[in-house]
Amino acid sequence: MTVSSLVMTLRKNSRCLALLAAVFSRSSSPCLSGAMVALGAFFIFGCSNNPHPEPLAKVREDGEPWKVRYSALPEDPRSLDPQVSYDAVSRRVLEPVQECLLEYQPFKTDPYELTPCLLLALPERIERTGGGITYRCALKPGIFFHNDPCFPEGRGREVVAEDVLFAFRRIADPKVECPALSTLQDYIEGFAEMFEAARKADSFDYSQPVSGLQVTGKYTFEIHLKAPYPQLLYWLAMHFTSPVAREAVEYYDGKTHDGAARDMFRFHPVGTGPFQVAEWKRNTRIRLKRNPVYRTTAFPTEGWDADREALLRPLAGKALPFVDEVNMTVFRETIPVFLLFRQGYLDEMAVGKDAFSSLITPSRDLSEKYKERGVALHRDVEPSTFFMALNMEDPLLGTNRKLRQALSCAFDAKSNLDIFFNSVPIVSEQLLPPGIAGYRKEFRNPYGYNLQKAKVLLAEAGYPNGKDANGKVLEITLDTTGGSANERLMAEFYQQQFEQLGIKVKVVENPFARLMDKLDNGGFQIAAGSGWGADYPDPENFYFLYYSKNLPPAGKNHSRYKNSEFDRLFEAMATMENSAVRDGIVLKMNDILAEDVPHILNMHRSSFRLSQPWAPRIQSNPLLEGGLKYVVIEHGLREQLRTQWNKKPVWPVAALLAMVAGSALLALNARRKS
Amino acid sequence: MKLLDQIWVQNLCLIAGYGSLAFLVGWGMRSERWLSAWKHLRRDVTGMISLGVVLLYLLVGTLESIAVPSLSGGRSLLQELTSSIPQEKSYSAPLSKAALSLSDPIPLLGRHLLGTDALGRDTLVQTLRATRSALWIGGLTSLIYIPLGVLLGMMAGYYKGWVDDVVQYVYSTVAAVPEILMLVAILMVLGKGLGSMAIALGITGWVGMARLIRGETLRQVERPYIAAAKAMGQSNWKIITRHLLPNVMHLVLIKFVLGFSGLVLAEAVLSYLGVGAPVGTASWGTMIDASRSELSREPFVWWNLTAASTALFIMVLALNLFGDSLRRAFDPKQGL
Repeated sequence: MTVSSLVMTLRKNSRCLALLAAVFSRSSSPCLSGAMVALGAFFIFGCSNNPHPEPLAKVREDGEPWKVRYSALPEDPRSLDPQVSYDAVSRRVLEPVQECLLEYQPFKTDPYELTPCLLLALPERIERTGGGITYRCALKPGIFFHNDPCFPEGRGREVVAEDVLFAFRRIADPKVECPALSTLQDYIEGFAEMFEAARKADSFDYSQPVSGLQVTGKYTFEIHLKAPYPQLLYWLAMHFTSPVAREAVEYYDGKTHDGAARDMFRFHPVGTGPFQVAEWKRNTRIRLKRNPVYRTTAFPTEGWDADREALLRPLAGKALPFVDEVNMTVFRETIPVFLLFRQGYLDEMAVGKDAFSSLITPSRDLSEKYKERGVALHRDVEPSTFFMALNMEDPLLGTNRKLRQALSCAFDAKSNLDIFFNSVPIVSEQLLPPGIAGYRKEFRNPYGYNLQKAKVLLAEAGYPNGKDANGKVLEITLDTTGGSANERLMAEFYQQQFEQLGIKVKVVENPFARLMDKLDNGGFQIAAGSGWGADYPDPENFYFLYYSKNLPPAGKNHSRYKNSEFDRLFEAMATMENSAVRDGIVLKMNDILAEDVPHILNMHRSSFRLSQPWAPRIQSNPLLEGGLKYVVIEHGLREQLRTQWNKKPVWPVAALLAMVAGSALLALNARRKS
Repeated sequence: MKLLDQIWVQNLCLIAGYGSLAFLVGWGMRSERWLSAWKHLRRDVTGMISLGVVLLYLLVGTLESIAVPSLSGGRSLLQELTSSIPQEKSYSAPLSKAALSLSDPIPLLGRHLLGTDALGRDTLVQTLRATRSALWIGGLTSLIYIPLGVLLGMMAGYYKGWVDDVVQYVYSTVAAVPEILMLVAILMVLGKGLGSMAIALGITGWVGMARLIRGETLRQVERPYIAAAKAMGQSNWKIITRHLLPNVMHLVLIKFVLGFSGLVLAEAVLSYLGVGAPVGTASWGTMIDASRSELSREPFVWWNLTAASTALFIMVLALNLFGDSLRRAFDPKQGL
């Protein structure tokens, strides 16, 4: 039993213990005292070690058992405001609460596919004269916001096109600080002007018309773009563009009204999703309960692999969600997550470093012990790429391509993953991660690890054996974050890798914010730990990192890479629909980057996850952030296995009783003698 | 701090450190009191064993400190002596034949008495190399805080009056700031490095020495030999350097030895907190810090923590025992 679960158990039984303590304190007889202690011990040992609170209900209205999904969060969400929330944890909580206009098909990940969610169909694309594009959209009628006190009589009202317009206005409001604004203002008509005007006036006029979004009917609206931007559809699958009820934003203002304090909107989202927030104990737990008026989507009827047919076919077309409650507990350490999973109190978990060796075999399979329990192992590859950024404005690195190629060849990414990541992630051979259009599985980085080649390239770069023409050892600075022992070890590993060439690498450890500053102002030669996770599955979302008009501090081109040919190809590719021509351009861009080496590629992050036998993995689309509406729980099996895995040992109680009885006898004996 | 990274500067500092120590001992040995203490010390078995252990650490630290530029990449003598020990890919248990934590466990290139660390380096070699950090911090810091503490303490004790007031106010103020916070703040400003750490520890560490020397000076100035020197018209400077200093030097020596162990521990603590030794510098604190995650692995990696803590423990214990023996040897009640 973990300390936290013990504390929770004691809390749960505090009434019993208080009663016992009261009786105990009033008794003068050693026999009675002993009996009370024994009884107390019995209560303690007899309690459940379940750390979760009682579910919100025992049975559904139809008499079926109330199904709860138990999972862990590494930290509290920062904000559940759909126009603000950007970090993975917040998005994981927001995803089941706040629906988007479009969503990703849960089973299609190579390539990814968009399907309508709140919209009736995918937006209709209309080319306007003058180069502009209009997307014509129609909302599904009869979709309601959650029942919430912000609405009259607490009943959620129907979602209409005006709610989408309100969300778009919020994106342009400088005080909301929407992360999507910087991109969307370049394409949506009038956005940049609205933002600038509001910034100057220090207030946003929510009554002003938005030229980029025109409401054409109760459920219909049009989005007007200045230029082609097919990626807009991906933005419609993100929370930033989700419809928001104005009543909710105004009601949840964080102030006290009539003596009652109200949450801020970012702590109290009101969406249309399959779940709504029932309880949020900050830094402890979030509980979501089924939205009783949810009727937006049903389980897909196709898209899965043939080997999953038996599991998924029976679910096809059924109303979502399948569970009634979602319990997300915040665990900052990974060991309690593992222990609770082992006891059956969590339905799934990510395999962390701490428990890795006991769960995963050297051949990267699940250990027999857990296979016998019916636990399933899943390997999830995230659409992300991590690399070291090389500063192309640095007088040494920026002007010497052979030197950059040599450094890239000296870095053994596989050993890095073996040592620090249990060999779980994938060595990245290209900037694009798997699943993104343009990713080439067979492509090999021409400057991947090859120490001999690195030495030859270094000599060609003018530094044979790491020394310049005057015999001076080449010295390079590597900037890294140095918060933890692991980060320091990793930095030492990078240092060793490059110093194999005979050069000297000076490691500068920075706090995270300082490293970000250096990346923004260009005060570095090599910066470790850079990377990018896909906002949406399009090569534009990765190649923009090397577009010369995307330089910091406004942009993310931290390497300060400037290549006119690359820029030309990027501009052509960025606004094209997916096609064979576009694929050809993407391949060319990949080759340019591979040869120019503005970065040293490291990995595409991936992780192992486990699921319990009663919670089979339904989907593993990383862009869905959990896909909680698809989750299935076999309640009966969970109860049965939990009982089996948490059998209470009898011997501690017996031993304690024997000890108490013995001491009571001794006390009686002593009393008799006296 | 760039200057301190230069090999020749480090070697120069090493010579200066040993020179100072030799001067201190040689100068002290001219005094009858020191000679008598040495006689006592030689009869103290614990003291002599401790001294032997300390000298052994000193030898290892020196081998790691002597950087020879002509050798590949300015490596140390110790690195050259242990260059035949191969570096593995990652962890391996003591004397084991295969590596841990790799997807394909591969046979090791050699046997390692105390295993290897995350980067496949021999733990015993790393432990020995870390002696340098401890000795550098102890030595450099002593070079900073001893002159500062002795000078201010003697000035305060000898001149008294406003000088004493000022010195007392200064050290009371410095002592009032939580030491660890002050150390971290100074290190944040100066940047990471052994030199920065020594300066930070020196700035915060002179207070104890100044207090001790001030108290002893206050006691000594009341003695007749000081009154006689004054009556003979000797200058204050001469009285301080020729009469007072020799009579407080035994305290300096004892405080130096006992304080050295505290500095070794402080280096380990600061490295453990991540503000100590820079990346690439072997340190017991860094090894102990790294073991935080190593202990939660399964199978857990215990050898790095064990090796670093044992080395640290033995050194601190030896220094403390030697310091106690010195104190006993200098104690007038012992029969001087």
